[in-house]
Amino acid sequence: MDSEDVRKARATHWYARTDWGIAVLSYEDSSFLLKNPRLTQGSAKWPSQHGVFDGHFDRWWQKTLLVLEGDEHNRIRRLVNPAFSPRRIEPLHPRFQALAESLVDEWIDDGRTDFAGRFAAPYATRILCVILGIDERDWKKIHELASTIGLGLGITIQENIAQIDDAIVELTQYAESLVLSRRKSPQDDILSTLVETRDADAGKLSDQELINLIILLIFAGIDTTRNQLALAVEAFSKQPDQWEKLAADPERYAAKAAEEALRINPIGRWISREAAETFQHKERTIEQGTTLHLFTMTSATDPAAFDDPDRIDLDAERAPHFAFGGGVHHCLGHFVARADIGVALTTLATRMTDLRLGEGAEWLPDSGNTGANKLPITFTPRS
Amino acid sequence: MKIFVDQVKCQNHGLCAISSPDHFELDADGELRYQESFDEENIDEIEDAIDSCPLQAIALNRDSA
Repeated sequence: MDSEDVRKARATHWYARTDWGIAVLSYEDSSFLLKNPRLTQGSAKWPSQHGVFDGHFDRWWQKTLLVLEGDEHNRIRRLVNPAFSPRRIEPLHPRFQALAESLVDEWIDDGRTDFAGRFAAPYATRILCVILGIDERDWKKIHELASTIGLGLGITIQENIAQIDDAIVELTQYAESLVLSRRKSPQDDILSTLVETRDADAGKLSDQELINLIILLIFAGIDTTRNQLALAVEAFSKQPDQWEKLAADPERYAAKAAEEALRINPIGRWISREAAETFQHKERTIEQGTTLHLFTMTSATDPAAFDDPDRIDLDAERAPHFAFGGGVHHCLGHFVARADIGVALTTLATRMTDLRLGEGAEWLPDSGNTGANKLPITFTPRS
Repeated sequence: MKIFVDQVKCQNHGLCAISSPDHFELDADGELRYQESFDEENIDEIEDAIDSCPLQAIALNRDSA
């Protein structure tokens, strides 16, 4: 995705043909097409395209917000959006901060650690626990279940489907018990808000919809943040000047640090859409059923839209990137992600200098969710 | 009190039109159209639209009549 070939193609034309459909490369066209109502999300076919036609994962997948379209999608989205608003997330910042500090405390004196295993995974998972009000001591189990369901997005879904289905069953039971406990005794967490939405609105959000949503939040909220943190650290390790700038004024640069990392090194290297009808875009007729892949990193580093596009610049005013997708399928949890990534990066920058990647990193391939399973880093603790 | 949308920030994602379809809509070109005025009884859905905007581009101008 970051190859010279892709850069050359982007400089030549707004799209390129691939074996899997049209790859949209430019910023301008990505921005227009991502929000175009003639394109649907189109992921409902994913399991069947890979030989999975039924079962617990497939039945859950067909009802998740990710793949729903039209009125059913909009109804659920309308009900759940407010629970993820900035005013619900803001009060959680001190808890994110305390968690980040406590994780760093565990290895800061060593001068090295596996960032993916010793920070990114526990941080992302325990924040999800905080958001939903899950006992943080259960984080390892939750992380394991989320990772297993994550295999459902890999091209090896068919060979893993038995364990993926088992994970869905286990997470369904867990979600049911969570809903039951919040219904008995509401707490100050997003889960309670969602449960109340259902009760107060006379069944607008059904029990089944609520359970499906909780599974989606656990599945989609953990791996994404975990991987994005690893990619952010990789990006900043190449630009110590920007790392030092962040450390010197963390309040000022927290949000921008998260945005720039998301822009130049996003977990989702592309976003897929499908043409619901035939339409014309520029000189090209896009036939109904055509798959379009909007190349996220490629569009967000397009020199036509950004100065010095491949570099993090904490002082630059940048156009919005599409790391969280766009249109009505814009990532539901982006305010949470932006906040927790910003808090994590400022905490890390204020405690470590000379940040470098170590030997033996294990990177996932480019995909809709790339990142690192193992990311050794070395550093000097700040005194 | 009137609805104000910062057109520079707005990216036409359309989540406001999901929260409050009577006050916000995307036109055939995908551009946001909205009504400045609203009835007080609709304040909840207007606030939901404000909350749901990914760019936080919507505000209520409390000084406007």
